[in-house]
Amino acid sequence: MEVFAFSLFNGILYGMLLFMLASGLTLIFSMMGVLNFAHASFFMLGAYLAYQISAYVGFWPGLVVAPLIVGVIGAAVERWGLRPVHKFGHVAELLFTFGLAFVIEEVVQLIWGKVPMPYDIPASMNFAAFSWQGLDYSAYRLFMLVISVAIFAALFLFIAKTRIGLIIQAALTQPNIVSALGHDVPRIFMWTFGFGCALAGLAGVIGGNVLGTEPAMAITLGPIVFVVIVIGGLGSLWGALVAALFIGIVDNLAISYDLSFYPLFAVFGVERDVTGIMQDLVRLTTASIAPVLPYFLLVLILIVRPRGLFGTRDV
Amino acid sequence: MGKLKLAVGVAGALAVGVASLSALAAENIRIGLIEPLSGPIAAIGSEALDNFNHAADRVNARGGVLGGRKLEIIGLDNAMKAEKTTEQLKKAVDMGLSYVIQGVGSNHALNIIKFLDKHNKRNPGKEIVFLNHSAVTTAFTNELCSFWHFRFDANVDMKVAALVTQISRDPGVEKLYLLNQNYAYGKSFQAAANKLLKERATDVELVGDELIVPFGKVLDFTPYIAKIKASGADTVLTGNWGPDLHRFVKGAVDSGLGATFYTVYGGIPSSIGGYGDAGKKVNLKQVTEMHENQDGLPEDLRDYMKSYIEAYESTWYPDRYRWLIEQLAAAIDAAGTADPIPVAGKLEGMTFPGPLGEVKMRADDHQMQMPLVVSTLTSDVPKHLIYKGKDFGIGFKTDGVVERADTTLPTSCQMDRPG
Amino acid sequence: MAGLARRSGIWLAAVAVVLVLPWIFSSGFAITTLNQMGVLIIFSLAYNMLLGQGGMLSFGHAVYFGLAGYSVAHVLNGIGAGTLPYVPVSLLPLVGGLVGLLFGIPIGFVSTRRAGTVFAMISLGFAEMMTALTLILIVFFNGEEGVQTDRWAGPEPFGITYGPDIQVYYLIAAWCLLATLAMYALTHTPFGRMSNAVRDNPERLQFVGYSTHRVRWLAFALSSFFAGMAGALHALNVEHVGFETVGVGQSGLVLFMVWIGGARAFIGPIFGAVVIAFLNSNLSGITEAWLLYLGILFMVTVMFAQGGLSGLILMHESIWKTDVRLFRPMVRPYALGIGATIVACLGAIGLIELIYFMSTRSTRDTGTSLYSVPVDAASLLPWLVCAGVAALGAEACRRAYRPMAASYADAIETVKAGAAR
Repeated sequence: MEVFAFSLFNGILYGMLLFMLASGLTLIFSMMGVLNFAHASFFMLGAYLAYQISAYVGFWPGLVVAPLIVGVIGAAVERWGLRPVHKFGHVAELLFTFGLAFVIEEVVQLIWGKVPMPYDIPASMNFAAFSWQGLDYSAYRLFMLVISVAIFAALFLFIAKTRIGLIIQAALTQPNIVSALGHDVPRIFMWTFGFGCALAGLAGVIGGNVLGTEPAMAITLGPIVFVVIVIGGLGSLWGALVAALFIGIVDNLAISYDLSFYPLFAVFGVERDVTGIMQDLVRLTTASIAPVLPYFLLVLILIVRPRGLFGTRDV
Repeated sequence: MGKLKLAVGVAGALAVGVASLSALAAENIRIGLIEPLSGPIAAIGSEALDNFNHAADRVNARGGVLGGRKLEIIGLDNAMKAEKTTEQLKKAVDMGLSYVIQGVGSNHALNIIKFLDKHNKRNPGKEIVFLNHSAVTTAFTNELCSFWHFRFDANVDMKVAALVTQISRDPGVEKLYLLNQNYAYGKSFQAAANKLLKERATDVELVGDELIVPFGKVLDFTPYIAKIKASGADTVLTGNWGPDLHRFVKGAVDSGLGATFYTVYGGIPSSIGGYGDAGKKVNLKQVTEMHENQDGLPEDLRDYMKSYIEAYESTWYPDRYRWLIEQLAAAIDAAGTADPIPVAGKLEGMTFPGPLGEVKMRADDHQMQMPLVVSTLTSDVPKHLIYKGKDFGIGFKTDGVVERADTTLPTSCQMDRPG
Repeated sequence: MAGLARRSGIWLAAVAVVLVLPWIFSSGFAITTLNQMGVLIIFSLAYNMLLGQGGMLSFGHAVYFGLAGYSVAHVLNGIGAGTLPYVPVSLLPLVGGLVGLLFGIPIGFVSTRRAGTVFAMISLGFAEMMTALTLILIVFFNGEEGVQTDRWAGPEPFGITYGPDIQVYYLIAAWCLLATLAMYALTHTPFGRMSNAVRDNPERLQFVGYSTHRVRWLAFALSSFFAGMAGALHALNVEHVGFETVGVGQSGLVLFMVWIGGARAFIGPIFGAVVIAFLNSNLSGITEAWLLYLGILFMVTVMFAQGGLSGLILMHESIWKTDVRLFRPMVRPYALGIGATIVACLGAIGLIELIYFMSTRSTRDTGTSLYSVPVDAASLLPWLVCAGVAALGAEACRRAYRPMAASYADAIETVKAGAAR
């Protein structure tokens, strides 16, 4: 039982990290209907900027400045890149962000080179806050958890409870009426996109030192972030939270308990020492495929319920 | 609209590239280096290009080979894609190269071995020899062995043999945990470790044996670290590299795991930044053919390391690259020709005074036999690792040298020789 | 009748070009590049059945390409080992096509219920899942090493061994022409028209009583067939199928080709495949920044040229069909506009190359060469010159584009007036 609770706890920590990575993406989608393929690249940019800033003036200024820079870059990209493409429809927007991901990644490698950066967690929080099951949990991990929860709460209040949030949501479905009421819809979209990118940048600042600030980080992190928001339901904040926690907990349980898939095949009379294509399947254990389980889950969800767990609308 | 012109500019650049290619001195002995020179892991390929250029420059500065011919390394970018490796091999054939060097990615090395087996059979007189600097799959010098392939690095089994030998000497190792990447290399590491631990470290208890999904898919190592903690292991033996190693080590340090890491690729200078601060706190060991702080390194090697750091502002790390070029040069001189078949004949059985003692290219399977050294990453050393002018404040300190006799393993190679 | 004669003229010309090409470009590297172009032309055209003709953006079409490649590699190995009955190697592309179809039918069924973002996401999901499977189902995919094969298998009808690359070239060329003809014919069938209608106005089509799902599904399945055919030829060409062939990278590459070439015209993907395959195999040897240039090229076409490079050419079609003399007043503004763009690009490329050189250089030596001019990247001069050229070019572009667009508008105006009369 203790192992279960322990896995659950680690799963929540990991799940909240995933949620933080995905929060900006789900914000942009829920507000603008744009799936930002370049999200992980903005995350990467945030991490590299934070490394650079922390090398000169320390972690805390970087925590503020790096997301701001990424946000401004994001807003500029929306203003001069995405907005002209908007009239060609969602597919063109998707294509634009797909190309953007590629370009940002290359530019980051162009500036910082192609080797991992020694970006560290700040010394002021690099001590064990508590221990459980013999493992230390640094103050920084608690800090990450707090920031993730704060992001969720802030976004939730912002979208559902504030006037500006309501206007933005209305702008997605009824842009003409909203602009007739005197709101500058293109400008709202620009700052929404910038804000979403700033969240990606913030996740980069906070996650980059734990996950590693290296040239392939966008490629390795990009897919899992999409899995989180698609399983949760595109544009649903609650969905992203639930999906992220679910993935985090499943991952930890799968590794801790390491169950074999053989009993599933034994039902069909498959021998344990079968050869051929089945031999790989009967030897699978949950731990050996834990990090790729979300992709199978994704395909399953998309077939059964294309709008995801909490999706309110089809795209 | 604008991009049509890019194509024009590119065509111009192309013409220039082709022209400069054909202007090369005809008598140079050109050697193709097929590595990723673009994309996210280009740093490894570019570094290899620098290393080989430096080694070739040294030979050329002495007057080259065959009384004045120079060695020239030609970088061929495979962008880490299998089909581009094949494409670059075709380019090597067109250029009339007799030697190609490669090492990053065993899957690419296997492609080259298979390609050359076919090519050399179908095109007598235009044979190409493959000089493998780092692709470690043991099978290349066992069941897949080929006359056209020479490996200058220790294979997985040899590296594991060295690590296990050192583990058996280390009184601090009682309970050992194996964690490897679930692909060909990681699995052969796992198999070799299981076999050799039983033979050479009988008093060490194996308390865990895990395979993880490779290539950066594991973002959070906490559940693995929790399992290692629960198993009571004091030592982890892992073949992991890249993010799979960096995240693992960072996570372990952050969780206060306190275990010792025995690794293969723990100290590559271009990726040492990946540990960040954790690099100074972790007890991490690596196995290599040498390291800078090893005592009694030959004078010529120390001179060589000095010249490399002066030219490239980076620590000289892979000494096998130097043997590779030096041995090739010696074989060409001994054969009196640059034709690949006689040169390959001379390479068989050739020896070289390595950093820890003599190294020898075994004729039976074309696997270099060498002593290896296990060392610990620490800030308490005279020479730190430097990469492109950046001093990481850590370097390696010798734990123990494993003699050539102890890394020499039997081979199952049945080599098919030409003619 | 004249139209038919002209159209068959184009096809005959294509056959002639295909026959002559290997005599002009005879080196092994050139033949390999040509072979890749042939494979990628089929793959791009198949992809465009989804994107251009059906309005479905896929990030995972390489799944069918790669699975067919793996299957054909296994079939070849089976033939070589004598465990499988002999299938003429020349017909293996059909086997590949059937494998593509086999997977395309069920996966297409579940993923084509909706187009747009949902379809794109499902395709990405399948691509990621398949990449994960390459490391799990070792017997079929053999992990990251992939499957090796030897196309020199079985009997040798008419002395064709497929050992030399040139024989494979003609095999690929023949299948490429056949597949192109078939896919071209498909665009003129009622199904081809329906597919376009589903892309442009699905609601209306549903009102009329058609199942948009069924039309998309059929398009998806057929597209998977041709993608499989391309994958089979890829396996024959390279004699190896690796795990990157099923991944998102390969799907992204074909997307780049189709979009840059132009998704709206049938010729577009062919054009894109030829251009990108050429750059892909040649540019990487010249500049380390080629991936960046490729990304920028793609983004520029998304922003300014939705019809891709072929669209830029084809937008002038009505002018030359009406009267070639209409081009005369356009020559000067076009020459200025294109010239200004070249200048701007030369400057920008110079800057990017300088930055790349400084960030990746490994020695203290800051001497390099730019456009074959030796320069010292540590000195200010080359930076100033490049920035100056880029700024000059940008300003020239700003001034030259408006007259260029105006001259085009004038010509189109005349064409329309003529048509009205």
